[in-house]
Amino acid sequence: MRVQELILIVEDDEAISKMVSISLHQQGFKTLIAADIQTAARIINTDSPDLIILDLGLPDGDGKGLIKKIRSELMLPIIVISARNDEKEVIASLDAGADDYVIKPFSIDELLARVRSAQRRFLGLQPSYNVILCNEIALDLEHHQVTLRNEVLKLTPTEFNLLKYFLLHRNQVLPYSRILKEVWGVGYQHEMQYLRTYINTLRKKIENDTARPAYIHTELGIGYRFTCEHSNLD
Amino acid sequence: MKLNFPFRHELISFLLLGLITIVSQIFRSQLGLLNIALIHLVPVIAIALQGNIRSTMIVTTISVIMFDLLYVPPTYSFDVHDLSYIWSFIIFFTVGYTISYQANRIHTNAVKEIFLNTLSHDLKTPLSSILGNASLLLKEKTQDPLIRRDIIVQINDSTQRMNRLVANLLDSARMQDIKSPLRMEWCDLEDIVGVALQEFRYNPKQSQIEVHIDPELKLFWGDCALLVRLIVNLIDNALKYTENGKRISLTITNDDSNIKILCFNESKPIKKADLKNMFDRFYRIDYSADIGGSGIGLSICRDIVHAHKGLIEAYNVPEGVCFEIRFLVSISPSDRLKELS
Repeated sequence: MRVQELILIVEDDEAISKMVSISLHQQGFKTLIAADIQTAARIINTDSPDLIILDLGLPDGDGKGLIKKIRSELMLPIIVISARNDEKEVIASLDAGADDYVIKPFSIDELLARVRSAQRRFLGLQPSYNVILCNEIALDLEHHQVTLRNEVLKLTPTEFNLLKYFLLHRNQVLPYSRILKEVWGVGYQHEMQYLRTYINTLRKKIENDTARPAYIHTELGIGYRFTCEHSNLD
Repeated sequence: MKLNFPFRHELISFLLLGLITIVSQIFRSQLGLLNIALIHLVPVIAIALQGNIRSTMIVTTISVIMFDLLYVPPTYSFDVHDLSYIWSFIIFFTVGYTISYQANRIHTNAVKEIFLNTLSHDLKTPLSSILGNASLLLKEKTQDPLIRRDIIVQINDSTQRMNRLVANLLDSARMQDIKSPLRMEWCDLEDIVGVALQEFRYNPKQSQIEVHIDPELKLFWGDCALLVRLIVNLIDNALKYTENGKRISLTITNDDSNIKILCFNESKPIKKADLKNMFDRFYRIDYSADIGGSGIGLSICRDIVHAHKGLIEAYNVPEGVCFEIRFLVSISPSDRLKELS
């Protein structure tokens, strides 16, 4: 394994690519910058980067095509950068195989957090535990039991499955349709009211302040992200 | 008004046409066919000025039919003996089309101008703060770290203000655009409040905001992104006009047919005229006050509320000011949600 991991930044705006590059350098990464898809494709072949940060609005075409191409050949995390009001594009790129996203204007902390969490996910196999810990939540897969601060929570089967899905995919952006498909099943991808209702009741059971949630974060127009600072799986 | 009476211009044109028909019928012999034809252009022009080509074509067609039916010989029939009248009809449509096309262009330009004015006015303030502070940082090398931090905090604040303004302008543009309708879906207002509060997570006054949400709150059929913008603007406004340590509260209640959002902040009462006018675009109560922001926030609130067929009003209460929004709950999601597994 390389000592310094190489991150490819595909971005045509120099101000942004420079800022991202500087911040990544400070975190000990090596970086390469490509201003268009062609150059990016060439660099991917020659330098084999460990992670790609990809702006969706590039001068020479559609970033989604590049994501699909990378996915068909390589396993490496891809984080997309998108403009505001472009949730459809974000969902499409997540479906195409991107791992995460940030929306312009983003803070560099936000991007670094995404990079780290994407890396962790790609680093290796998920260790298998019977109990998943996340901050103050403990979910026992074997006994179908959840505790919050050592107190047993009463959850309905759907709430349990939803929480389990979240914990297994903690810190990742999870599009609405994916959650519905995985938790409720195929054919439920568009039943948003189910998801909204269950998120609401689950929040009431696990969050301290439902208006300022610490676990279930809403990614507007895209999906949810379950945040775990401390977990036994990472 | 516009949103409450979507067809009022059409209605006015039809009333005009009715009036013209009455006048033309009474003074038929004095006016002569040529003048009657010209009078029939009046409703066409009236509707065409609104710039909606479809409505113009409908009114023009009816105007032509009325003229043909009542005055063009043989009267009371659609037959036209003298084919030169066909030209008159074509001219009717040409006039209607040309005027509404031009009116549409002027309207678009007016909207663009408003946006440009807002941009230049409201982006200048934070931008000059960023520029000034950044050049300070560039120049002074030996600076007290506390002052440096202060400068950076100010740059950060201004950037966020600009970011919020741009978000507002983008959402506003989206609402003006007839081609992109609202993205309606089931929204959880509690969730929406949470997302809105996220925007203020670095604001020191953020902890002053008390949130009370009816635990039995129903889902609401709306455009979630716009509803977030609505709450963000309400909170932003409350934060701007509330001094440190004073109370801000956001309450959402719900009964069988209404969802009510109340945003209260402790402050001096607002003058009666201002209570109404402050929802107008680019209106700000005290221009001399050193309060950052734009007059666009509340007007966008109003646009968002109206787009959801709701009502928004502001009034004084004993200790402060209250913004009240009422949404009618017309449809509700099926109450019985299926439990799987």
